[in-house]
Amino acid sequence: MAGRANIPTNSSALIAIIADEDTVTGFLLAGVGNVDLRKKTNYLIVDNKTTVKQIEDAFKEFTAREDIAIVLISQYVANMIRFLVDGYNKPVPAILEIPSKDHPYDPAHDSVLSRVKYLFSAESVASDRR
Amino acid sequence: MATATEEPRLLGSALAAEDAGEIDGAVGEQGLPRGDDDDEEILRFMDSVDGYLHLMDSLSSTLRQGWLDLASARHSMGPTRVSSTLLDHKEQSAATKLQVVDHAGLQLSESKPHFALSKWSLQEECYSTCNAGEQASSEPNLRHRGSATTPEDGNHERDATKAGSSTGSDTSSHVQRARSKALSVFGALVSPKLRTAQISFETALELILELANSRSSMLASFSQLKE
Repeated sequence: MAGRANIPTNSSALIAIIADEDTVTGFLLAGVGNVDLRKKTNYLIVDNKTTVKQIEDAFKEFTAREDIAIVLISQYVANMIRFLVDGYNKPVPAILEIPSKDHPYDPAHDSVLSRVKYLFSAESVASDRR
Repeated sequence: MATATEEPRLLGSALAAEDAGEIDGAVGEQGLPRGDDDDEEILRFMDSVDGYLHLMDSLSSTLRQGWLDLASARHSMGPTRVSSTLLDHKEQSAATKLQVVDHAGLQLSESKPHFALSKWSLQEECYSTCNAGEQASSEPNLRHRGSATTPEDGNHERDATKAGSSTGSDTSSHVQRARSKALSVFGALVSPKLRTAQISFETALELILELANSRSSMLASFSQLKE
């Protein structure tokens, strides 16, 4: 039997955001913005100049940080690094794909629903990507 | 761990893999019907998937409202006044944070984190004031059965009520101060639409929290069903 992943109880965890400018601005208005001593933020604004490498690095950084409990990522940005997002399977931080202004939410691309989808279908969607 | 080559089972159906050593489908071992536990788990899983999709739909609507308000604020204040270039890169701690607790599933192998939201550092700030409120209200209230209340009784009840209302007003004034501080990045006078956008995104945060818990529940049920 596989060992259970330990989830340390955390009473002051952060929400990280990888999304377009308006989405990040909105959530910062709601008070989730954090800047530490080394000027590291818990958000990445994705625009047309942002490279896939930058998005990958931000995703890897946010999922490795112990002070982050949820990572919000616009679904169209997640599609750019789909292999990374689908390969992530830890319970914390939780990855949530959210819609953006120009790209509505598509449940067919959601990594969480893709993982559980095969219970409803004879095809294993996730296996095609691995 | 299930591999891609294993035939997945369909919920509630009698289809089962005839592969050697695999017992699946509606009929369990030795031809006995599937237990109630499995049915409960399946229902829990279906509910969590349904809840997840509904919450995502609500989140989409709330975010759309937030983006619209933000666009309206940008239109009235000017694009340079509502821009990410104004975001403060000085050291600052997030005012809205999460609490994570591990609610382990029935089996030791599954983890089920539970998330709770702490908006505008409310729980930390409220701790001292809430305690003061509770202490005041826990003191014995002198009864007054039809007789005129003594001045002490009246004062006592007024104090308890005041403590409760002052705690509530302290909380709301703290929240207002925190909201104003977040808005101050965009200047001293901001469009009412920016304030409305702030409320929309706060609501979106609450939905995101429910989504995270729903996701956690869905994945826990899924791993239970896989086993």
